[in-house]
Amino acid sequence: MNKIKIFICYLIVLTFAKFSFAEVAPGFNSWDDVLGKAKGGEVNVYMWGGSDAINGFVDDFYGVPLKNDYGITLNRVPLKGTVDAVNQVLSEKEAGVTGDGGNIDLIWINGENFWTLKQANLLYGPFAAGLPNSEFVAWDNPAVNLDFGRPVDGMESPWSSAQFHFMYDSARSNYDDMPRSYAELSDWISANPGRFTYIRPGKGGFVGTRFVKQIFFELSGGQAQWVGPFNQGLYDQWAPKVWELLNSWEKDLWRGGETYPKDNAEMHSLFANGEVDLDFTQSPRGAGPTNTAGTTPPTSRAFAFYENMIGDFNYWAIPYNAPNKAAALVYANLVLEPELQAAQVQPANGFCCGWGISTAKVTDAAGQAAIADAQNNLGDAAEDQNILAKALVSDIAAEYQDLIEADWEANVLLK
Amino acid sequence: MNQNLKKINIYSIYLGAFILILPIIAFFINAFSFRWFYPQLIPKELSMQAWVRLKLIPRQGNRTLEGFLDLWATNPTVIKALINSLTIGFVVTIVSIIIALPAARVLGLFNFKFKKLIIFLMVSPTILPPIAFVLGLNINFISLGFSGSFFGVCLVHLVPIMPYVVLTLTGIFANYNPDFEYQARTLGANKFKTFYLITLPAIAPGMVVAALFAFLVSWSQYLLTFLIGAGKIMTLPLLVFSTASSGNPALTAAISIIFIFPAILILFFTSKFVSGESSATSGFGKI
Repeated sequence: MNKIKIFICYLIVLTFAKFSFAEVAPGFNSWDDVLGKAKGGEVNVYMWGGSDAINGFVDDFYGVPLKNDYGITLNRVPLKGTVDAVNQVLSEKEAGVTGDGGNIDLIWINGENFWTLKQANLLYGPFAAGLPNSEFVAWDNPAVNLDFGRPVDGMESPWSSAQFHFMYDSARSNYDDMPRSYAELSDWISANPGRFTYIRPGKGGFVGTRFVKQIFFELSGGQAQWVGPFNQGLYDQWAPKVWELLNSWEKDLWRGGETYPKDNAEMHSLFANGEVDLDFTQSPRGAGPTNTAGTTPPTSRAFAFYENMIGDFNYWAIPYNAPNKAAALVYANLVLEPELQAAQVQPANGFCCGWGISTAKVTDAAGQAAIADAQNNLGDAAEDQNILAKALVSDIAAEYQDLIEADWEANVLLK
Repeated sequence: MNQNLKKINIYSIYLGAFILILPIIAFFINAFSFRWFYPQLIPKELSMQAWVRLKLIPRQGNRTLEGFLDLWATNPTVIKALINSLTIGFVVTIVSIIIALPAARVLGLFNFKFKKLIIFLMVSPTILPPIAFVLGLNINFISLGFSGSFFGVCLVHLVPIMPYVVLTLTGIFANYNPDFEYQARTLGANKFKTFYLITLPAIAPGMVVAALFAFLVSWSQYLLTFLIGAGKIMTLPLLVFSTASSGNPALTAAISIIFIFPAILILFFTSKFVSGESSATSGFGKI
């Protein structure tokens, strides 16, 4: 009899133990536990600081509720490049800084930088699925659960999305005359010599790399075969044809292809000063953000090819030695609030990126209303959202990026 | 003939000044322009948007005294960075002079074995690019717990500053005659009084120049501040660099004005010490 009692007690204890050890994130038993530990602290957010619109958005839309609702002080650290934060974490690892002795709580990250940290076991997690607002994230979508073809595994949580497409100036060109594929772009370039250039693929020029990557998709008949692990044979089969096409453009490019803009900021400047007629954008709002900031003419508009426009998500990751992990979790959860997601798409707020959540998963009325309102306000500087959605393809394994950047330099720039 | 030469000299000074000032004028036009694209010769649209974005000037319709005070009370990043830059600059300047004074006195007044080697080692940070030593230094600073701290940033700023301060003060002491101090001591002045009444006035112009060097070198540090400060100690060069990558010329110009203004102000107030007549710049004597 006694033995049975003990056995039942044992079962009960086990059940409770199982419950209490079901962590929302490593080291935290429940979301209330997270909120409690986060209160009164600060959160050090390391992010690329090149867009004052994004900086201002983070300060106003996250800094204020963090302070008022959660008692957390936001300390945003602007970086010249995300790789600076990655190097900082690597240095801290080398110096043996563990536990919560680091400096960085959150890094705005994706692609290669994420993979560097994940591979070296320098990230805290998995935490993404434990966030209450994770229910709005389309985790079954490969564009979300793969980051440049690499599994996310809950080690980063999405913030927003971007999709490559183009801009033109409606004061100079007509929407109907815009090319809708690389084949049409080739014709457009020879018909408009000196009026086009693209961003040099390479350090800081990932938008240019993306532009070249999409040529691989079009020439090879679609993006589907490029999904999955890196395939050297496939790359070798198509690369010569891509370099051939790019070299055939060269004489009709801006300054005869002698030099290329190194990032999107330089490209905007060439476009705004009338040196070239087409520009690149990554924003689902097209020319809206740069028109508002005054870095492109107010008459600028967006257009997309009908196929192979790469889109991706960007994320927040927490280093293994983050000093305020609880506050970092609160922040990563806050940015997924449907109302705040709608705010980042709302043109008046100046932020340039798109949804990090799947808007279809939002069921409460206030969230739905905010989302609908943001979508209705996209304005005429944006391309038709249906065209963008139809052309959307995900990015591919990160190895391709390095290869394209090195080979472009050897086969196009230095040829 | 002589008169003509003088005229030409004066014109060349004006030309030199004009060339120096021209980029600064461009800063001011850019900072208040909006959508200043080719082929506009002068900006068509003037705007405060850059200053509004930096949170230094309130949005239109809110530009009352109260509006300004409310905005500044939110502690904008630019003001935080400005205060940090100034504080670090002043602390580092004072510390560097306190460290350099005894060293410079010995180097300037005495000859001893390996003096040339010691001077060479002291100026070596000016030859070595910061990136060569700061990555290694960063790891040491992290394990010592100095990373991300105000103290660590001040300490690392001393590395590029010390050569300038030591060399400037050594030049002063090379032309300095310590016999005046002995005279004062014989006349009954104590050590402190001697320093205060004899040594200090003699080396003051040189100290001002050394301080100027120290402050300006500290003022313009990007890499050292960024790495050792781990991004937590926000200074103006950090803001200038990250803003310059945004490709918004108005914003970059506005923040550059804030960056160069205190430096110009300090240069202005110390200019009489830097001119040719000052003993501070009369050469490095017999070192």
